[in-house]
Amino acid sequence: MTMAIPGLDMGVLDAYWPVILGGLWTTVRLCGASILLGMAVGLAVELLRARVRRAAPLCRVYVEFFRGSPILIQLFLLYYAGPGVGITLDPEAAGVMGLGLYGGAYFAEIFRSGFEAIPRGQLEAAACLGMPPLRTLLRVELPQMAALVLPPAVNQSIILIKDSAVLSIITVPELTKQTSKIINETFTIAEPLLVLAVLYWLLVTGLSAAGAALEARLTRHLNPSGKTS
Amino acid sequence: MNKKAANLPPIIEIRKLRKRFGGNEVLRGIDLRVYPSEVVCLIGPSGSGKSTLLRCINVLETYDEGEVRVNGELMGYEEVSGRDRRRASPARLRESRRDLGMVFQQFNLWPHMSALDNVTEALVSVRGKSRAEAEALGAAMLDKVGLADKLGSYPANLSGGQQQRVAIARALAMEPSIMLFDEPTSALDPELVGDVLEVMRSLAAEGMTMVVVTHDMGFAAEVADRVYFLEGGQVVEEGPPAELFNVPKSPRLGAFLSGWNRRNA
Repeated sequence: MTMAIPGLDMGVLDAYWPVILGGLWTTVRLCGASILLGMAVGLAVELLRARVRRAAPLCRVYVEFFRGSPILIQLFLLYYAGPGVGITLDPEAAGVMGLGLYGGAYFAEIFRSGFEAIPRGQLEAAACLGMPPLRTLLRVELPQMAALVLPPAVNQSIILIKDSAVLSIITVPELTKQTSKIINETFTIAEPLLVLAVLYWLLVTGLSAAGAALEARLTRHLNPSGKTS
Repeated sequence: MNKKAANLPPIIEIRKLRKRFGGNEVLRGIDLRVYPSEVVCLIGPSGSGKSTLLRCINVLETYDEGEVRVNGELMGYEEVSGRDRRRASPARLRESRRDLGMVFQQFNLWPHMSALDNVTEALVSVRGKSRAEAEALGAAMLDKVGLADKLGSYPANLSGGQQQRVAIARALAMEPSIMLFDEPTSALDPELVGDVLEVMRSLAAEGMTMVVVTHDMGFAAEVADRVYFLEGGQVVEEGPPAELFNVPKSPRLGAFLSGWNRRNA
């Protein structure tokens, strides 16, 4: 796995590929879990905000808090101050929870814009046919909302992947943490950081491509000549 | 033509209906009756309250005063001892809309579902029919509106007139006894209006009770049993189209009709 790049000696990394790939795998795992948690929290918060009048103020406080402070501070609070109030989490769990709650605030806003973009008349039509709200949500609103928010949701997921580098400060052995370990052990800086940047770029690009493919699928019905049968 | 003579009680009865949007009173004491199998057209200038009146019948708008009764049942409110009433629960509201089909100016089809799925959705989720039953009925309904070859098409691939006919099929599939139409042809290109009106004419001929908000005086003159002319949230004049259109009693209706004739000459 030795690449020839002028001025760089990629050979120093030869012994470290298992460490790098292990870090990559941890990043993928934790980011996947964080994104799923963030979307679930974001959807729950937006549904409560829009449909349960008494829950709305609380939902707004949640969004304001997690959007209004740096992820770094939130992670420190959760990991180092958490035990003081009885929340003791291992680094990975704290990382997923921190990123998930942080992302959830943004996903809630993204989902809100998606729901609000669905023409009211479609919901009136469902009401006139006697459809209960839950059924209307599942059959009419969610599928369209999902298609509408896919680009911003992918964007937010990309931001989360890059933000996951801060998990290194609470000792999670993810990509950035493992890379800094290599920097400390080999006294090389450029080579490990270059690999680090390329690996994040690959993750993000892969996610974008998957998002684009999914979007094409979810918006099939808007494509002239599309048929179901 | 004169279905009142059959002595049936009105299927829709509206009394002293008032509706405000903020400080703006858009319905100011409307009385209206529709008898079984009647076709009633609501006409009037824009802003006259005719669409709001239609939307009060199925409580898409909650009215403030007066009452709307469909088959004798008070719409939108539950009667509590004596003269008090409170807003109907969502479940009660759903149940009371059972007899009413609604067709909108903007069709309001669900764009991510095929024509057939648009029609079968409520048959399955509300009427509890099996997928197979719903699809057979849905296909029959789409056939009835002349779209037997469009079952699998998404709304984006249908013309406006075809979309509106899918919307009519979707409402009809629920077997309502009354159909409400809110300017069903106003969003259509002129050459697509005919197919939709044709479907509406045949519905009327089958004896469907219909309330139609329309700007199409030709349709009203041809199909309506009675026409209500609204202006400023009040019924100015009401009667069979032959009377209303040929010898309008009120100067306001006269002015409205001559304006329409000028534009459509």
